[in-house]
Amino acid sequence: MVQTDRFKDKVAIVTGGGDGIGAGIAARLLAEGATVAVLDLDAGPLRAGLAADTVPRLLAVEGDCTDLATLEQFHARVVGELGPVDVLVNNVGQSGRGRSAPFHESSEEVWRFVLEISLFTAMRMSRLIAPAMRERGGRIVNMSSDAAFVGDTGLVDYASAKMGLIGFTRSLARELAPFGVTVNAVAPGAIRTRAHDTMPKEVIDRIKASTPAGIVGEPEDVAAAVAFLASDEARFITGQSLLIDGGRWMI
Amino acid sequence: MTAAFAGRRILVTGGAKGIGKAAALRFLAGGAKVACLDMDEVALADVSAAHGVVALKVDVTDTQVTDATVAEAAAQMGGLDGVVNSAGVDLESSLEAMTDAAWERLIAVNLTGPMKVCRAAAPFLKQAGGGTIVNVSSGAGLQPLKFRSAYSASKAGLQMFSKALALELAEAGIRVNVVCPGAVETPLFRSSIAEGEEGRAQLDAVRARYALARIADPDEIAAGIAWLTSADASYVTGVALAVDGGRTFH
Repeated sequence: MVQTDRFKDKVAIVTGGGDGIGAGIAARLLAEGATVAVLDLDAGPLRAGLAADTVPRLLAVEGDCTDLATLEQFHARVVGELGPVDVLVNNVGQSGRGRSAPFHESSEEVWRFVLEISLFTAMRMSRLIAPAMRERGGRIVNMSSDAAFVGDTGLVDYASAKMGLIGFTRSLARELAPFGVTVNAVAPGAIRTRAHDTMPKEVIDRIKASTPAGIVGEPEDVAAAVAFLASDEARFITGQSLLIDGGRWMI
Repeated sequence: MTAAFAGRRILVTGGAKGIGKAAALRFLAGGAKVACLDMDEVALADVSAAHGVVALKVDVTDTQVTDATVAEAAAQMGGLDGVVNSAGVDLESSLEAMTDAAWERLIAVNLTGPMKVCRAAAPFLKQAGGGTIVNVSSGAGLQPLKFRSAYSASKAGLQMFSKALALELAEAGIRVNVVCPGAVETPLFRSSIAEGEEGRAQLDAVRARYALARIADPDEIAAGIAWLTSADASYVTGVALAVDGGRTFH
């Protein structure tokens, strides 16, 4: 990575930034000079991996992203302590993981959890941010997934939520374009995270074999794309979905 | 701008004007050696005098000339690890008015041309142990424009060519991506706009197509090209990135 200060004096929020891809994004924005606020159940892994000089610019709040009151309190605290938000990364999201099931056996309780954490949180957080961004511009980047575009099996709820984010991205991009706000989505393929590390080796080998780049991506690969879309460089890009998948799908 | 391209050797077709030139200047500012290939000798002389790039005349419809010019660019830069295909032409025509010659010329420049450049460049990229190709398509290749059937088809073809190439060249460490600009303030775009009142009405209609309601600066497209060429996009290949102020919502 080339060190720059593209985000000096900027305030960014990364939901679910405590670990995995979100932590990679938070670390990248911090490294480029941003002040970053993170909301996650546990911010330990992010803190453990950070360069010491960036730590003073991190506000890590531990809380449940699916809870509206928590989001409201977090937003109020960020604006109060750090100032208005320039960059919102709606990163948080999750499949049903161990509770995922083939569709005919899937439960509505799991659907609700997946849609809440992966889609509704992005909508709620964006609605909290939108009034100020309409006044002063900004960047919103949403975390979709290749699972949406491809239609992963056994993950109907997750694919629905992540495709929902694409519609959300496009619609909101149109709505906020007149106010200098861009809204884009990134859609990672297989990325080395904690969830990924629990997959059987055969599955990972199969993914690698079907990925032209021949490797599984790192959180930093996604962070690099998010940083680009959040930067001034990308001011003419809005409503787009960018796959970060080593060429696995090319759609 | 930081040294994101230090040590890189990048060839840009259409590099003397418009989007290609803006990309070339970004690479240069990032520390790369740059070769601008173009049809326009006057513009080439300007870009060479002003910025000290390698400037070479090329006609990408001519295989021999293209092969020789790409090899010359690589020789002058001491190798090649980046290619941007930005050379392109526009054609506004109804189906009934379309001549075979006009259709064939457009496909020759916009679709067959980049293939020729990529074919000529691939051995050098492989020799360098990998590299990047960014092909400049158009929003018209994602969502059609009326009376631009040849242009839209050529640009859609360029996207799928690029994706197929991304598959083919991945194992050689070569990433291939596409940028799809919207309306950009370039000589090519200007040539499609009439003079006076009619032109103003045309421009208003163009702006209204985009969510951001304006025409892009070439440097805004170059930002997308530069990112896809940079190491920051090392896991991105086979992607078509629209830089279009919100029209195609791809």
